[in-house]
Amino acid sequence: MLLLTTWEAAYRTIGWRPWVFPAPSHVVDSLLNMLNVNTAFGEPLHARWPRPETPSTAKAKSPVTSPLVIANVVSLTRLAVGFAASIALGGLLGLAMWRLKPLDEFLGPLFLGLQTLPSVCWVPLGILTFGINETAILFVLIMGSFFAIAISLRDGLGTIPPLYRRAGLMLGATGWRLYRYVLLPASLPALTSSLRQGFSFAWRSLMGAELLFMVERHGLGFLLSTGRELSDVAQVVAVMIVMVLIGMLADRFAFARLERVVHHRFGLLAAQ
Amino acid sequence: MTVARAPHISSPGITAAPPTASTTSGGKLVLRGIDKNFDGSSVPALRGVSLTCAPGEFVVVVGPSGSGKSTLLNIAAGMIHADAGEVSLDGKPVDGPGPERAMVFQDHGLFAWLTAEQNVEFGLKMLGVGRSERRDRVAAALAAVHLTRSADKLVHELSGGMRQRVAIARSLVVDPKVLLMDEPFASLDAQTRTLLHGQLQELWLKTNKTILFVTHSVGEAVRLADRIIVLHSHPGRIRREINVDLPHPRNFDSRDIGELVHVVRREIEDEVNRVNAIGAEEVWKPQAAADLGAPADHLGSGI
Repeated sequence: MLLLTTWEAAYRTIGWRPWVFPAPSHVVDSLLNMLNVNTAFGEPLHARWPRPETPSTAKAKSPVTSPLVIANVVSLTRLAVGFAASIALGGLLGLAMWRLKPLDEFLGPLFLGLQTLPSVCWVPLGILTFGINETAILFVLIMGSFFAIAISLRDGLGTIPPLYRRAGLMLGATGWRLYRYVLLPASLPALTSSLRQGFSFAWRSLMGAELLFMVERHGLGFLLSTGRELSDVAQVVAVMIVMVLIGMLADRFAFARLERVVHHRFGLLAAQ
Repeated sequence: MTVARAPHISSPGITAAPPTASTTSGGKLVLRGIDKNFDGSSVPALRGVSLTCAPGEFVVVVGPSGSGKSTLLNIAAGMIHADAGEVSLDGKPVDGPGPERAMVFQDHGLFAWLTAEQNVEFGLKMLGVGRSERRDRVAAALAAVHLTRSADKLVHELSGGMRQRVAIARSLVVDPKVLLMDEPFASLDAQTRTLLHGQLQELWLKTNKTILFVTHSVGEAVRLADRIIVLHSHPGRIRREINVDLPHPRNFDSRDIGELVHVVRREIEDEVNRVNAIGAEEVWKPQAAADLGAPADHLGSGI
């Protein structure tokens, strides 16, 4: 807060140009304008402040159809579809790698290697294979996240105490029931961490992909890219803030909470 | 003033079979000629081990670590396959783990994501027992180990002793023919252990289960067993069988038990020394153990 105040104050005293580097107030304006709310916090104080000094002639539009809301809907839909596919694929492969040693020996190092590849590096391959379309964006998202899910799931499953398996067998949990009633619940801590990690990979990959793909439906990455093309630094910063917020909120309120619930159940917090 | 009696110790064959209860529920566990070699080990873990537990008998296998006693138990459980020999329960060969040979592990092995009650219920669920019967049997099992009030606690909220009691309840609730116990009290403190010895004895007298119990503690063996099997290590073989003819329920503080512990300890002293010497770097003979002796022998001597 202090930093923001200092920044704003310095800005007003020195009088930088907003297109070089924006003040917090410009970023707020840009953010609200993308929501079809017309404000001008960034203008010097005047009678109409914080409304723009010269009122816009355009008809006011509903925030529901504003660019930012639409971009969020588009991006989050892609995220939901891609992340679900990534979980399915990564989950299956992680499970297979855990059960089948030869597969693990073959795929494990490969996946670890591919995981170090920044996800935007999948963009050219996506374009050449699928063209510039939704499928290519999903391709980048999935490639960027499912290795991480598979690897962390395999590692997590590997840490299940063998005693659970023996106890389950001893009590008559055979065949699929051993998986359903013993190994699946036993792997919950591993599953939640792997989901959490997978999500952050998926979100980053999606933003990268959207930034580079100009497709029909415009996601958050597209807004960022537009800001760059219009040299609208305030918009660029505003979109970045939205991206960070979404990532943080999802992590804090979905994945971290899930992890906490599971860890409490397993008594993993008690040690701390 | 009573005269010190001779310790209640005898060799099999000399005394009559240990006092066993009715055989209606079955539970005759037979291990015959068990050989087991683990990969990469030059000495077999077990060689030619044969052991029969009569229905309702409490058999304790004692031996130093590495003597293959846990391996023997796991073979009886069907968790490990023997290289040679056979295991049978009431005449039926054992070829895998199952609830008729329920096991209590040293590290309890309770499912951390379930409450005490749900852990006990687990085996019944796997057996397909109906909901209302399940509820009754779980309640009875928890009551038998005096844990009714902790039914809703998660595993990490229970103390070590309570966890083992839940583990025992979980094994008994499925009504096994044999209860296999792998050093179940080894990681508990002495007071809790004594408490659980009492509870286990009480449970055993009430349920009449055949129990095969593994421990390295001679005191524990003498307190609980009808018959003690002393295992020899490198390779694991049965060295001696000792019948404990003390009546149940036993008072663990009684002099008889103290004396018998002393005698059994002497029996296996060579073996412990031999095992210790295997680990020693040079030719090293452990000194004769500082033995306090049986209390009755020396009581008042030198006054």
